Amino acid sequence: MLQIALYFALLSLVSVGGMPSVMPEMQRIVVDVEHWLTAPEFTQLFALAQAAPGPNVLVTALVGWKVAGIPGGLLALSAFCLPAGALAYTIGQLWDRFRDAEWRKTFQRALVPVTIGFVLSGGYLLGTPHGLEWRSVLIMAASAAILFAAKVNPLWILAGGGVLGALFF
Amino acid sequence: MEPTPPKSLWELYWGFLSIGARSFGGVLPWAHRVMVEERRWLAPADFAEVLALCQFLPGPNVGNVSIVVGRRWFGLKGAIVAFLGLMALPLVWVFAMALLYADYATDPMVRAVVTGVGITGGGLFIGTALKMAKPLIKSRPWAIALALACFGTISFGRLSLFLVLPVAALISWLLARRNLV
Repeated sequence: MLQIALYFALLSLVSVGGMPSVMPEMQRIVVDVEHWLTAPEFTQLFALAQAAPGPNVLVTALVGWKVAGIPGGLLALSAFCLPAGALAYTIGQLWDRFRDAEWRKTFQRALVPVTIGFVLSGGYLLGTPHGLEWRSVLIMAASAAILFAAKVNPLWILAGGGVLGALFF
Repeated sequence: MEPTPPKSLWELYWGFLSIGARSFGGVLPWAHRVMVEERRWLAPADFAEVLALCQFLPGPNVGNVSIVVGRRWFGLKGAIVAFLGLMALPLVWVFAMALLYADYATDPMVRAVVTGVGITGGGLFIGTALKMAKPLIKSRPWAIALALACFGTISFGRLSLFLVLPVAALISWLLARRNLV
C-alpha cells in the first residue's frame, strides 16, 4: 500500500496536462511491473472513472481500491493529488503576486493557445475509444456543436449521448 | 457584468460541490459553467487564464483550478475547502458505480450507454475548447494555428506531451512577445 502511494506521488509530479498524459506510465507500473491488475481490468476501471462524474484522477482511487480496499483507494487518490496540489498552491501564490508584471502577462497570453490545443486533444482522446469511425465522430461532433452554439444544460447532451450510444454500439 | 468572487467559504464549497456533483463526462465544461456562467465568480478571460496555468502544472487540471482560486479568495482554507468540495461527491459516486458496474459489466446495453456517454464527454471538451478559441479566431490567427498544431501533433502525430509542451510553450512565448498571440 505504501508502495502504491509512493508510485502515485511520483506520477503526480510529472502529470503535466492531467491524467491522460500519465495513463500509459500508470498502466505499465500497475499491470506490467507490479501485476496488481490485469490489462483489461485496468482499462475497465479507466472507462468507469471516465463515465462517472468527477475528475478522471478518480481512476487512481479505483486502482488503490482494487489493490487494498477503500483505505487503499483514499490513500492512492491523496498520494496522486497532494504533491501536485502543493505545487499548484505555491505557484498560484507567485502567479497572483506578479499579477502586473510584464513577463507574467506575456506568459499568460502564451499559455492560452497551448491550452486550447491540449483540451482539444483530451476531447479527441475521450471521444474516439474505438478509433476514428463514423458513430463516434457523429456523437462527438454533435455534442461539441450543441455545447458551443446553444445554452443547453450539458447533462441533457450527455443523456442524448447515452441514448445514441445504446442505438449505435 | 463584473464578476464577484464568493463571499464565504460555504459559497465556495457549495459551488465546487455543484461542479463535482454534475460533472458527468468531464469536469471542465461544468467548471466553466458554474464559475463563469452561473455564479459569475470569474470573467471568461480570468477562467481561461487560470485554466491555462493549471494545465501547465502537473496534477488534475480542475483540481488545480480549485486550489488556485480557493487560495486566491480565502488562502489555505479556501484551497482545501474548494478541493474537498470538488472531490467529495464524485469519490462517493465512483465507488458506488464501481460496485454496481461489477454486476452489470457484461450487459451489452450497459456497455453501449457507457461508451456513448464517454464519447459525448469528449465532445463537451471540444465544445469547451471552441468556446475558449472563439474570441481569438478573428484577432489572433497565430493563436489558432498554434492550438491546432498542438492538437495535431498530440492526437495524430502521437507525440509525447513531454515533448510538445515545452516546444509549444516556447513558440507561444516568442509569438506573445511579438504580440501575435
